[in-house]
Amino acid sequence: MKVSLFITCLCDTFTPDVGKDTVQLLERFGCEVDFPENQTCCGQPAFNSGYKQESMQAMKQMITAFEASPYVVGPSGSCVQMIKEYPHALKEEPEWSARAQAVAEKTYELTQFLVEVLQVEDVKSTFQGTATYHPSCHMTRLLGVSDAPRILLQNVEGLNLIELPMKEDCCGFGGTFAVKNAAVSGQMVEEKAQHIDETGAEYLIGGDMGCLMNMGGCMRRNKQDVKVLHIAQVLNSQ
Amino acid sequence: MTVHNRTSFLDRVAENLGRERRTEVKPPVYSVQPQDRVFQGATQDELIEMLEAQCRVIHTSFERTTQSGLADTLNKVLASFEGSKKVISAGGPRLDDFGVRGIYEELAEDDFDLRIWNDQEGDVAFAEQAGLGIVFSDITLAESGTVTLFNDSYNGRSISLLPETFIAIIPKSTLVPRMTQAARVIHEQEQKGNPVSSCVSFITGPSNSADIEMNLIVGVHGPVKATYILVDDL
Amino acid sequence: MGIRIGDKPYAERIQAGIENSFMRQAVSSAQGRFRTGRLKAAEELGDWEDWRTLGEEIRHHTMENLDYYLHQLSEQVEKRGGTVFFAETAEEANAYVKEVAKKKQARKVVKSKSMVTEEIGLNEALEQSGCEVVESDLGEWILQLDEDPPSHIVTPALHKNKEQIRETFANKKGYTKTDRPEELAAFAREQLRKDFLEADLGVTGCNFAVAESGAVTLVTNEGNARMVTSLPDTHIAVMGMERVVPTWEELEVVVSLLTRAAVGQKLTSYITALTGTRLDDETDGPEDFHLVIVDNGRSKILGTEFQSALHCIRCAACINACPVYRHVGGHSYGSIYPGPIGAVLTPLLDGYEDHKDLPYASTLCAACTEACPVKIPLHEHLIRHREIIVEREQMGAKSEEWMMKGFAKWASTPAAYKLSTKMARTAMKPWTKDEQIENGPGPLKGWTQSRDFPAPAKKNFREWYKQREKRRGEA
Repeated sequence: MKVSLFITCLCDTFTPDVGKDTVQLLERFGCEVDFPENQTCCGQPAFNSGYKQESMQAMKQMITAFEASPYVVGPSGSCVQMIKEYPHALKEEPEWSARAQAVAEKTYELTQFLVEVLQVEDVKSTFQGTATYHPSCHMTRLLGVSDAPRILLQNVEGLNLIELPMKEDCCGFGGTFAVKNAAVSGQMVEEKAQHIDETGAEYLIGGDMGCLMNMGGCMRRNKQDVKVLHIAQVLNSQ
Repeated sequence: MTVHNRTSFLDRVAENLGRERRTEVKPPVYSVQPQDRVFQGATQDELIEMLEAQCRVIHTSFERTTQSGLADTLNKVLASFEGSKKVISAGGPRLDDFGVRGIYEELAEDDFDLRIWNDQEGDVAFAEQAGLGIVFSDITLAESGTVTLFNDSYNGRSISLLPETFIAIIPKSTLVPRMTQAARVIHEQEQKGNPVSSCVSFITGPSNSADIEMNLIVGVHGPVKATYILVDDL
Repeated sequence: MGIRIGDKPYAERIQAGIENSFMRQAVSSAQGRFRTGRLKAAEELGDWEDWRTLGEEIRHHTMENLDYYLHQLSEQVEKRGGTVFFAETAEEANAYVKEVAKKKQARKVVKSKSMVTEEIGLNEALEQSGCEVVESDLGEWILQLDEDPPSHIVTPALHKNKEQIRETFANKKGYTKTDRPEELAAFAREQLRKDFLEADLGVTGCNFAVAESGAVTLVTNEGNARMVTSLPDTHIAVMGMERVVPTWEELEVVVSLLTRAAVGQKLTSYITALTGTRLDDETDGPEDFHLVIVDNGRSKILGTEFQSALHCIRCAACINACPVYRHVGGHSYGSIYPGPIGAVLTPLLDGYEDHKDLPYASTLCAACTEACPVKIPLHEHLIRHREIIVEREQMGAKSEEWMMKGFAKWASTPAAYKLSTKMARTAMKPWTKDEQIENGPGPLKGWTQSRDFPAPAKKNFREWYKQREKRRGEA
């Protein structure tokens, strides 16, 4: 099965290891992974700030980059969800909207792709440690992916998963929210960091790099001894 | 004139909706009807069980009796009451149907000052001084533990509102699963041209508030205590 | 009072909210209880999603035919001896209520809780014409005594603790007992009972009006709304024009949604449906009834992409689910309608000029949309507001505009994108220590005030991938 990796600008720039693990994980299950070079950012920072015209330029770039791919898979619920928004966002340009629709239909978040398309529930990975999982808002509420990561993590050998209190609460990232409303965002992530602390977990696992950078940055500032991992890193651990 | 500015107001509404004024609308057909599924097919006895369980949630005492046992039950409930011995009760044909008038006469001998609502000056003032208000439920909703009252000349609004303790006599035959059935009765009556009473009160237990630090306080402006007496009339 | 509360700018309001640790604690614990209640109530039903679908369909159908149902409602009220006044503006509504009060020579007015009368500033209007206005909902009474605006649409005094309430009662009403909630409530019962019995005029809002019969329905717990509508001779109900339902069958559904979504109750203590005046042979209830139907900016929302904001049944589920509200409190929104629905509605009713920051007071986490019992896509409305603020109203900050223009260029030019991700690490070097940025420049400043920001990786993903492909090619 041919799959194109949608790396997301955050993973590309800040956490290339997540990309490597994603590629290896997909390859382990027989996928032939390519990386369309012309992909950039999904456009969400501009779209969610009200700069729709600006975000549309990003969307068109991404549509062009992924049009030829049979499947598009990305390690982010939020960025994948953004691609799902394209057809609606471009509705005033029917031709682009139709092209967007075609791309949106074949785009999947990593765990969603593993479970729904590859029908894999156990990735046969081993990870020793105690961890808690933060289900990010866009992945859960907008993309509707909540079971897949849970199922996959439950089957990781050696992993002791502890439920995160108030897990459905936003961590305060919200893209440009963390910049525009930095003080409120700071309070929100502080509360999240406390909840993580309550679990006593050594690791925080998540499926969206933005949220993980936010929570990780806060815990580092607090000198909390919790390591932050993207779910791809855990699932690809042997 | 009893309706002011209607035309200009509704013309503006229609204009913003991008069309002419509508003078006819077909009754809507909704894609789902989950309200009909609640307690569907439950027997009258099963509904009683649900009502009793719900009474615990709504801080309401629950008594169950027969028509012949009503006098004893009412006596027992009243005997345990410590406040004002003034009692205001709804009137109407059910007073006699359930033999309550006779019970009241006996109570009067026990120092209770009883008044039956009969739409006279002084009813409200009496109710305001009364410690107990007694009503008959017209429709009883098992799911929520709700007594429905069609307030009218027999059944003043104040009876269930002003006294500190609220007692509802609930004929078993009035039990339905939930508000759906009560609303349907009213809707059907409206369609037959029988207008609804000037005040329909759906009462669920005593009054309460959570306005102070979200602590539940039972008893604010309305009754502080509530007792339901279920009477098997079937 | 009007829809706006306070005159401080957004940033100051937010800061004040964040610094008010008592308020935050109170809101947080209240949200926890509300949330548990709502989820439990939904769970009991088992098919909550069907209920939400039905709620949405009812509200949608009603809004699409609003002129028809309001006409029917007014005819029914008239048939039952009531008077109906359609008010386009807040001023018209207030003037009408004042006129009725004057005709009745009303001196004392008792009110039950109503958001729309807050919105139009009815209390001030009545007070100006010499009436004493008494709010009788416990929370509203506390706020009235303290001259404080509401911070929540269901429990308006959520931001106050019992010590503060005891103090208010002591200072304003000579209360001498403790701060136990039961004692405080008993005091309110005793004080307000006199007001109910003396009042000449009762004013209520309206949760839902039933078009087929003309009934005005009030959903309450304390019993004060029943007092207000049973004891004074005149009752005036004020309703936002969208608060109508076709028949009793729809009423039942939206009431069930409201009580469950708001407080997790199957039904509140009192659902009271009042139709016109009392009948000739009845002794309690009003002999004179007026229904004031208020537009005040609502009709211009009809027919727009924001129409579903009018579906709101004022349950506050979105407010109770919102993590931003939890940290900043209701007053930070500068509107009597706080939280997600407030951030959607306030700019629609009162313009963008004073409320352009509200749509940004959200992380777009969509907890609001998920909680809404009538499925209003609140977070989508917030994004749409942002677009209007930026594109139509041109209210975006210049610096942000330039940044976004740069973003568009960057994200649509792969070469520029590639170069920037490659250079990012070097560019951030002056601020980087141990692979982290603890005190970042420009837009990162706010972020790094409370948390670290990672330095860009030594080698970005696409370089790794390229090298891997190259190795594979060689192999």
